Amino acid sequence: MKKNAEFLIKTLPTVEIPGSAKVKCRYKKMVEFAKSFGYTDEKYIGSEEKGIFACPGFANAISVKAFYTLIPGVKIEQDGQMRDLLLNPNKLLHASQAYNWENCVPIKNGDSLIAKAAYEKAWVNESMVLFTQMALTVKNQNDELVFSVKTLGAIRPGGY
Amino acid sequence: MVKIADIQIGQVIRAEFDQINRDLLKRYAKASGDTNPIHTNDAIAERAGLKGVIAHGLFSFGFLTKMFDEFIGLGKDGKIIEIGGEMRGMVRCGDTLITEGKVTKIEGKRVYLDVTQTTITPVEIKKGDEVIKQFEAGERGYISEKDIARGFVKTKEVPEGVLTYRERINLPGHAIIELNE
Repeated sequence: MKKNAEFLIKTLPTVEIPGSAKVKCRYKKMVEFAKSFGYTDEKYIGSEEKGIFACPGFANAISVKAFYTLIPGVKIEQDGQMRDLLLNPNKLLHASQAYNWENCVPIKNGDSLIAKAAYEKAWVNESMVLFTQMALTVKNQNDELVFSVKTLGAIRPGGY
Repeated sequence: MVKIADIQIGQVIRAEFDQINRDLLKRYAKASGDTNPIHTNDAIAERAGLKGVIAHGLFSFGFLTKMFDEFIGLGKDGKIIEIGGEMRGMVRCGDTLITEGKVTKIEGKRVYLDVTQTTITPVEIKKGDEVIKQFEAGERGYISEKDIARGFVKTKEVPEGVLTYRERINLPGHAIIELNE
């Protein structure tokens, strides 16, 4: 375990997460999402013809889809063999999330978003829980930034 | 309309939500694409050792975003620059979520806030020694010895008797908003 932790702390920041995740912002999904938080304003749940914006929390749905698409494809070479980062997915906890909308444009229905992810750093605490920080950058079809997010995953011993 | 001149250090923005139920978690799962069954299926959640479904971490996180979005008039009075938080505790059906942002710094038109989200989990109501009402947390045993040892479990008088409940911070964090004027 200690060997794996040392290996991942050193290696993860250099690991490239291949490809990108494409997310189509469909009207129905955006409205369902806004309604699940109790929004009633036309801005978020108005007619499809007039067009709507995504409520800021919709970034949650996009980041979940992007991570589910991108992360399973990540393989790391350790001692000459390819391995998954997560050896036991049940050991993974979502530790924190930090969104940034600096210089971003809002998301509109019909937007086609492209998300790219990168590992930034990894460390262990005194209980040998491995923390991995990933950054996700999401742009629209015009190459405009719509948000970025840093996600911290905590993998308990036995999971890495 | 909220303006920067109206904001003061120490000011608290607050929102409360007490409608977390299984139907809402299913709707959120469908809308968000996070369909992990520990959030929607009690049997699977029990097999995972959770004693019952738990809310998605990003579902409760979403109430931070909503609180600030509503504070800035859904974008009419400004914009959200950053929101971050640590997911420390599980949120359950029947919990009340109290989200608060306290202003710590004002810089130009930017407002910096410390954020806490607290869950209130009702356990049971007693009249004398008799339990007259048991909530989901009491029935399913959500309250741990650790909760008691840490002083999270409290009581208070309510019209029906004495309510036992757990109060703990499930999400500490921060936010930055920028106002137009």
